[in-house]
Amino acid sequence: MSSSILLRSAFKSAAGRNALRSTLQVRHAASSSTQYVPGGPIYKGTVNDPTTFPPPSKTHGSYHWAFERLLSAALVPLTGAAFATSGSAYPILDGILGVSLVMHSHIGFDSMIVDYLHPRKFPVLGPLMTWTLRTATVATLVGVYQFNTNDIGLTELIAKVWTA
Amino acid sequence: MMSARAVGLGPALRRAAFSQNLARNQVALRTVLFKRAVQTQSLPPAASEEILNQQRLKRPSSPHFTIYQPQITWLGSIVNRVTGGALSALLYGFSIAYLVAPGTFDSAHIVEFVAGLPEYLKYSGKAILALPFAFHSWNGLRHLSWDMGKFLSVKGAYGTAYAVLGATAVSTVALVLM
Repeated sequence: MSSSILLRSAFKSAAGRNALRSTLQVRHAASSSTQYVPGGPIYKGTVNDPTTFPPPSKTHGSYHWAFERLLSAALVPLTGAAFATSGSAYPILDGILGVSLVMHSHIGFDSMIVDYLHPRKFPVLGPLMTWTLRTATVATLVGVYQFNTNDIGLTELIAKVWTA
Repeated sequence: MMSARAVGLGPALRRAAFSQNLARNQVALRTVLFKRAVQTQSLPPAASEEILNQQRLKRPSSPHFTIYQPQITWLGSIVNRVTGGALSALLYGFSIAYLVAPGTFDSAHIVEFVAGLPEYLKYSGKAILALPFAFHSWNGLRHLSWDMGKFLSVKGAYGTAYAVLGATAVSTVALVLM
């Protein structure tokens, strides 16, 4: 009802038109100042506002996908080689496995964090877990390198434990 | 009277019938009969967002997967993630443990510890390790075949799922007996 009154007054005079414009502006300001609440089913804006998308990036898209596939496919002959021979005969096998398996694991863990602890829903825990994973991955890479260098290596360890 | 009660007019009619004034006063009768039950409230247009957000907070979440019939397609996907996560957790756990305490988690100590375990523990431990490794390996090949555009149909998904289960069973037994 108030809007119809405003409309009527808007047609009457320039002052009324200004009043209408200021009403619309106030309304717009109110909708943009409404706080977005992370962690709840509240989205930015009204039902008429489009959802936001991350900027397109090949690094997070096709390149990332192709890298994941190449890594997974590379693990097939590497796993076969680990059954056929051992890291003692070919230390490079333990070296490659120690990097590729950790990368494969990191991508898998990262997908779980993105799926279950997305920053949109978990603004604190999500990034915290992402950085915890990054720290753990670096520590794992160093640990595997140390084990492959100073001890018997991954494949030899599995073979010995299996027949222990 | 029954029909009046059925449409919810019972109390109003009863009040009108027993009240001397109301029976004669047509205006009062109308007021009693057509009293609005819904209260309205005048709100500025800017309040719509607040109401919308309140409604959004009361929205139920989308159907949880427990309402779906268990199907090998999505069960296999979950098991793939769980087995991969478990194997990766073992790799991470061992590597970080070796990094922190190389004297405790070196190969000699681990092999010595495993050798001292009773036979049934050795076999069950090997089965617990072999099963996720076998499943994740075979299902990984299934995923790679999908990525190459093969078996991308319901029939293909089911056929490869049963193939993966069979290969997992055989290779788990073979690995445990190795």
